[in-house]
Order: sequence, then C-alpha cells, then structure tokens
Amino acid sequence: MFVSDFRKEFYEVVQSQRVLLFVASDVDALCACKILQALFQCDHVQYTLVPVSGWQELETAFLEHKEQFHYFILINCGANVDLLDILQPDEDTIFFVCDTHRPVNVVNVYNDTQIKLLIKQDDDLEVPAYEDIFRDEEEDEEHSGNDSDGSEPSEKRTRLEEEIVEQTMRRRQRREWEARRRDILFDYEQYEYHGTSSAMVMFELAWMLSKDLNDMLWWAIVGLTDQWVQDKITQMKYVTDVGVLQRHVSRHNHRNEDEENTLSVDCTRISFEYDLRLVLYQHWSLHDSLCNTSYTAARFKLWSVHGQKRLQEFLADMGLPLKQVKQKFQAMDISLKENLREMIEESANKFGMKDMRVQTFSIHFGFKHKFLASDVVFATMSLMESPEKDGSGTDHFIQALDSLSRSNLDKLYHGLELAKKQLRATQQTIASCLCTNLVISQGPFLYCSLMEGTPDVMLFSRPASLSLLSKHLLKSFVCSTKNRRCKLLPLVMAAPLSVEHGTVTVVGIPPETDMSVLGRGKAAESTSSRMLHNHFDLSVIELKAEDRSKFLDALISLLS
Amino acid sequence: GDLGPFNPGLPVEVPLWLAINLKQRQKCRLLPPEWMDVEKLEKMRDHERKEETFTPMPSPYYMELTKLLLNHASDNIPKADEIRTLVKDMWDTRIAKLRVSADSFVRQQEAHAKLDNLTLMEINTSGTFLTQALNHMYKLRTNLQPLESTQSQDF
Repeated sequence: MFVSDFRKEFYEVVQSQRVLLFVASDVDALCACKILQALFQCDHVQYTLVPVSGWQELETAFLEHKEQFHYFILINCGANVDLLDILQPDEDTIFFVCDTHRPVNVVNVYNDTQIKLLIKQDDDLEVPAYEDIFRDEEEDEEHSGNDSDGSEPSEKRTRLEEEIVEQTMRRRQRREWEARRRDILFDYEQYEYHGTSSAMVMFELAWMLSKDLNDMLWWAIVGLTDQWVQDKITQMKYVTDVGVLQRHVSRHNHRNEDEENTLSVDCTRISFEYDLRLVLYQHWSLHDSLCNTSYTAARFKLWSVHGQKRLQEFLADMGLPLKQVKQKFQAMDISLKENLREMIEESANKFGMKDMRVQTFSIHFGFKHKFLASDVVFATMSLMESPEKDGSGTDHFIQALDSLSRSNLDKLYHGLELAKKQLRATQQTIASCLCTNLVISQGPFLYCSLMEGTPDVMLFSRPASLSLLSKHLLKSFVCSTKNRRCKLLPLVMAAPLSVEHGTVTVVGIPPETDMSVLGRGKAAESTSSRMLHNHFDLSVIELKAEDRSKFLDALISLLS
Repeated sequence: GDLGPFNPGLPVEVPLWLAINLKQRQKCRLLPPEWMDVEKLEKMRDHERKEETFTPMPSPYYMELTKLLLNHASDNIPKADEIRTLVKDMWDTRIAKLRVSADSFVRQQEAHAKLDNLTLMEINTSGTFLTQALNHMYKLRTNLQPLESTQSQDF
C-alpha cells in the first residue's frame, strides 16, 4: 500500500526499532541511503546497512537476518516484483520500499499489511483498479455449493438444468474476466520506466521533519542528476524536478548576498547553474571533455577523420587556441574562460547542437573545491563499478558511499580519475565498434557484442557502465548511418561478464524516441536458456555464452 | 547536574559537550559567546601585541572554544573567517612571547619564573619541551661539576 504520511507511518514507526537497510547499487540509491543515514544518526536509530547488487544477494541477506529484524527498508529495489512471493517473510515483518522502478507490482500495491510503498502517488502510476485484478475466489464456490445442497429430489431435474446453465454462464464470465485481466496486466507491465528519484523522496521526508541540511539537499541533487545522466527519466520530468529542488536551494543558500553576515568560506554553498553539458570539463581539459562527452562525440562524429576536423573548426570558430584547450581547464587563461559558456553555446548552435547547456547545480566549499552535480555522479559511479577486485563486493559500495560526504574529498578525486578512464574507454570502444561495423541489424533490433579480447572490456561488465556504453553507442550509431529505419530500432548489447563461468551480460536499450523498454524475460524463458535475471533493472540479464544465439533467435521471433 | 527546561526559541545555557552534540543532531542553534566578536577581538589582539607580558584572555579556554565552535557551528557565528584569523593572531603572538621568555629562562639559568595570564592550552603546548630542556640542562650541569672535584688516579 502507498504510505500517505511519511512522517507518521514510516519515520515514527521506525524510529524506535532496529531496521535493516537494503540498498541497491546505483548512485541514486547511495544518495537516498546517505540522507536516511544522516536522519538516523540525528535520532540515534539503530540500523544495519546491507548493499545488494541483485536478487540473489537480497535473498541470501534476507535469510541471514530474518530472525533479528522486523522492519526492512529497501531502497531502489523491490517495487517491481512480488516481494512476498520471493522472500517468504514471516507474518509480522514489514517492508518499506522506496524504489524508482515502475511499474509497481500490483501485489505490492494492494497488500495492506506487510508492504508499505514510500512512493508519491501523483507520479502517474496508472495502477489498475483492484476489482479488475483480484476477485474473491470463494464467491463462485459458495454459490455452486449452496445450489447443490438443499434441493429436493422432485425438483432436482429442473434445478439441475438451471444450475448447469448458471454454471456455464458463470464460467464464461470468469473466462472473460480472466482474459481482460491478462490484457490489463500485460499492458501495465509491458514497459519499464522510472519514477521520482529516491533521494528526492528521502529529502522531502527530511524536510517534513525540518531536519534538512544543505548537505542533504546536495545528495538529493546528485540522485536526480544520476537519473538524468543514465537517461532514466524524460527531459521534462528532469526540468520539473530541478525546479522543485531550486526552491529548496534558494531557501538554504540565500545568505550570500547579505554583506553583514557572510558565511564562512568553508560552509557548503549550492548554486543553480545553467552550465555546459560537457562531462567533467572543469576537472579535465576542454579538449578531452569535448572528445569524451557522448553528446558532442556523436554529433561531431569524432570516430572519423572528418569528425576530428569538424571539432577543430568548432574550436577555431570560437577563437580558442588549441594549446589552451588541451591544457587543464583550471590553467586556461582567464580571459578565455570568462565568456566560455556563451561562446560555446553560440558555436554549438551553428554546428547543430542545440542543447549544449543544461540546468544543473554546483557545490563549492573552501577555496578550491567546486563540483558540478554530474561530476559527482560520474565519480561515484566509477568508484562503485571499478573492476578492481580488492576486497569483497561491498568495499566498493562503502568507498563510493564515503566519497559522497564532504570530509572524504580525496576519494572523490580518485573517483574523478577513474571516471576519466572510464569515459575514455567508452569512447574508444564506441569508435572501434563503429569503424569495424560491429553493430549488426538483426531485423527488429540492432545487436552488438564485445569480444573478450577488446581492451578495457572488464570495465563494461557491470550493468550501469554497460548501459551507458550501449546508450552512447546507439546515439552515435544513429548519427552515423543514413538508414532511416535504424533510428527507430532498439539495441541489444552483450559484454563478457566472467571468464570462468562463461557468462555474458546482456542489456537492452530502447530507441531514442521511445522511453519504454521491452521485456525480455519472456524470450529467455521460451528458449529455456540458462539465464539469470539477477539485476533489479529488468532490462539487464546474465546469460551463458553458448546460449546467446538461441536467445537472440527467440528475441527476433518475439519482436517481429 | 540537571539542565533545562528546554523551551523552543528561548536560549538556554548548557555544557559545551551537550551543545556540540545537539548541534550535530540538528536540534539546536548555537549562540556565540560575547567575546567572540570582531571588534572586541581586534582590540584584544592589538593590546596583546603592544604589551611585553601576557594580557588577560577573554576566557581561560578561548582556543578550545574557538576551534570547536568554528568547526561545528560556523554557520551560526557571523564573520567566522575573520574571527578565526584574529584568534590565530593572538595565539601566535602569545606563543612567540612564551618562546622568548623560555629561551631567556634557560639561558640565564634562573631558578623560577612567574607568568601571568597564561591559559592551560599554551602551558601544555610548551610545557613538555620546557621541562625536558631543563632536565637536560640539569644533567649537563651536574656532569660538569664532578669533573672539577675528582682527581685523576695515578697508576
């Protein structure tokens, strides 16, 4: 059921208990977790944090901790499947689910006792009505039972005939109802999309408790930006949410204009910026940033020589000397940096890139440290998904979690370096795929597969990096072909996951115009290939490498 | 002892540790002590620089208070940066004076000295060094004396 008053029904219930937090492995969940942790620390709530990256981990952790806890909080996992079925909890455990995955499973919506959804209901959920899906099973039985009892033998004949007629009518009605139910559920669950960021939901809770701080606001901003970077929400929703956050930002940060009571330089200050879309450009050189942002790389077609020339024309058009542009951004001449944003926007318009600037936020504290929200998103994502195998899987999670707090800036800088490597690897892989024509059209969709020997392929075995790579590849591919039809096709991308087990991660990306994703679970089930539907995102699965072709064939037949 | 009653909006005096704890849990706002004000601190700093001996400090724990308050509650203290600079200036001046007087103390081998208006933090900062230096000097001095009084043995 949906929780309407977060404070009374969620926070005050949880405040006096020990809770277990299951947090999924993406940046939005990390930010929501940080906000919730800060709230718990204020009120001395005992909690245990368990990072999970898939259903298997969730189940094992749940079995381990079942005895000790009654209250479980799931962040960014669990709304889109039938939780009670999978976890088989006891009668008195209560789950609070704060998840962005939609559609919310109908069982979770209509269960009144054990599952409480921390989701705002005005999020255009379109949940089907109760009567359409559930129906009292007992009504039918009782009816027929009553009719068969208490009938006298003399009237039995006519009674029997009437009974039979009634029963057939009822059976027909029931079949119709079931067919309608199947249709409704199919429509409802067909497409997967995402709702409001969990970090923003947690921030609103903090605001209701009047415990919201600038730091928490920054985490909410990072969570929202993560959704935008990974293309999980539409542009319109992003702009609306940015507006909501902007009001909070001006409420917290309006003291800068007052000369009398200026804040200490060390306090965090968040400001709204209409800044360039170039990734990490303030921590990198402008040239590198232009080459490695998928937006510019795709538009300029930087994998070809012609594209490189266009980039140089672009820079020349603005009057930026190459030597300056290849230096670190902070070392560029101030005279060049002054009107940089406007200059780039003008020139970008000339070259066909209309959305060069985007509304975002930046934070700065101390004299040296200034970050845009997208910088932090990329840094944290690379920290969490770095392929270094030191320590257990939760180490990366904890590192990424730490890097979000202000006192661990060295981790954040380390994350920025990792992010640079990741972005470079992404662009190089895209360039090589396009130059060697690895993207094949399989009929109703495009298919691309990364071989094991490709450099940096281990960087792409985790789902978020692979999804980003695939999205960028699709965008670049769309820009590179003249084939109109290709622009409407989705992309299926495969990358090797683990050499010992011989498994492959497969990701499906919708075409650019359509936000929905096709469910691929049915294809896999129909071929009975050995696949693992482990990730919370239904568009990512693991397969055995040998079953790849079977899976693809099934997918082709399903989609055509 | 007992504290309270805590009424919203009315200032209450509490021990420092409780104030910091409540501030970290975002349950209160800290009011800076009276002496933590830019003009007053400027006057004190200039006074300190003029005098040769130590001048009385606004509070026997001014350094600790400044550090804790500015680290945890700098958003409640107006002009926190300038206050930090002023207090650091005062601290530097006093430590310099302390060093000079310790130096002259050791050099002239005085037996005892009287220093007014020193705070505990300053004493502890230079205390260990001073006592150890004096110990060494004493050892060196006592090693000098027996050489004068003993005679070399004849084989």
